[in-house]
Amino acid sequence: MKRECSSVSKLLDKYFDHEVTEGEKSLIDGHLPDCPACRRTLQSMENLRTLIKRPVEEAAEKEVFPWVWEKIERGIRETEKPALWDFLRSWLNVTPLLRRKIWIPALAAAAILILMIAPLLYVKISSHPALSVVEYVESETHNVMVYELENQKVTVIWLFNGLEEGASTS
Amino acid sequence: MDAHELQVISRCQRGDQEALKEIFNQYHHRVYRIAYGVVRQREEALDIVQEVFIKLFRSIGQFKGKSQFYTYLYRMAMNTAIDHSRKMKKVPPSTSDEEEGLQLSDVAERRPDRILDQKELEEKVKWATDQLSPDQKAALIYREVEGLSYEEIAKAMGCSIGTVMSRLHYGRKKVQELLKGYLEGGR
Amino acid sequence: MKRILIPFVLVLILSVLSISAALAQVETRVRIIEASNVGSNIDPSLRDITDQVRSLFSFRSYRLLRDETVSLRPNQPIMIPVHPRRSLELTLIGEQRGSAEIRVKIKQDKTDILNTQVRLTPGRTVSIGGPKHGQGTLLIALSRL
Repeated sequence: MKRECSSVSKLLDKYFDHEVTEGEKSLIDGHLPDCPACRRTLQSMENLRTLIKRPVEEAAEKEVFPWVWEKIERGIRETEKPALWDFLRSWLNVTPLLRRKIWIPALAAAAILILMIAPLLYVKISSHPALSVVEYVESETHNVMVYELENQKVTVIWLFNGLEEGASTS
Repeated sequence: MDAHELQVISRCQRGDQEALKEIFNQYHHRVYRIAYGVVRQREEALDIVQEVFIKLFRSIGQFKGKSQFYTYLYRMAMNTAIDHSRKMKKVPPSTSDEEEGLQLSDVAERRPDRILDQKELEEKVKWATDQLSPDQKAALIYREVEGLSYEEIAKAMGCSIGTVMSRLHYGRKKVQELLKGYLEGGR
Repeated sequence: MKRILIPFVLVLILSVLSISAALAQVETRVRIIEASNVGSNIDPSLRDITDQVRSLFSFRSYRLLRDETVSLRPNQPIMIPVHPRRSLELTLIGEQRGSAEIRVKIKQDKTDILNTQVRLTPGRTVSIGGPKHGQGTLLIALSRL
């Protein structure tokens, strides 16, 4: 009996948790009726389980979770800024080690873009002499004459014989 | 994990809060039970539930689907609850009567047959489980509160079944010793 | 790959747009001058103009009344007062082959006494003159910076 008891007592936790094999169950089922000590141990485990479990079940059963979801939503909003970055990183599936794979082509593309646009940053003097400096000219009150000197660096638009001439304009 | 749950998780990983709400609706009771099992106080357990789902939303991208989702969630819930419990442990358990502000072992030694009211008993149980290591406490809560199998506990805790059995055995043994006078003879 | 390309392309497009917006601005110098035969003072800052127009006109005196540099943006007119009753309105119409097309209006009260469109390129000055001003004649010099 004692030898059997020492073997069985090591299996009592498993037996209590229904994790024993069929063979082990048979052994313990056969032993228990004749062993008050093992029965007391099992009872103690049962009592402990009740002490631990019952209050939890009672609390969970009557709990209505007031405003919990709303608080979760607010908590998410409040932590959104850092989380947003985590979200962007997970969306891009980027790790710190892989960042170079974005920035290297990005810098290369930016360099190409700058080289393409750079000539536009430097305005060259027009080499199209055929284009006139003055496209059109109109006046409701004056006659207009346009002077363009041969070297085309000087263009003068002159108003004369105006209706106002003769009156002081100061 | 069924296809619907996979889809919900995937949506949640993309930042869909409605998907998180679906997960919340399905699992918040279980998370509450784990939280309450550890801290044994309603307000704190509700705070833990809130914290767990906020954490879940931020970190769900790390869930790769290699394990069951509930295992992932349970682990998060248990770790959060134990962290809370550690912070609260610095405050000794309060009792309504100053005279009875004694350590449990004192009570057990001097007046083991004393009948305690439910609230005080709850506090003693909490105190006793707080004396366990985090791993022993987690194994005990998973088993006694949630009824998880050894295999499920092993997955949730990231250890072997043998380790689960050891933690359960020594966890139960320690709590039984601490609550000696209140477990014998049944309640 | 798509997840990297899409934001990347957006950044490139934004860069091009912002650079284009910057390039669309034209800096124009506007000098308002009173040319007359009263005295023989020539404002030193007007040497470039007087050298150019001397062959056309025989004014002895050139007095600088106002010197401003304006940033012209496409289709956004800028008004510069010239005289209590006169104003100069400049509008950038566009750019073509390095030259800025600018519409120039001189208004007196509500009347357009001049409406013209000129092409400005760096190094070239377009002078508009003729209306009376004080004891002399108003001259407006436009040059692109």
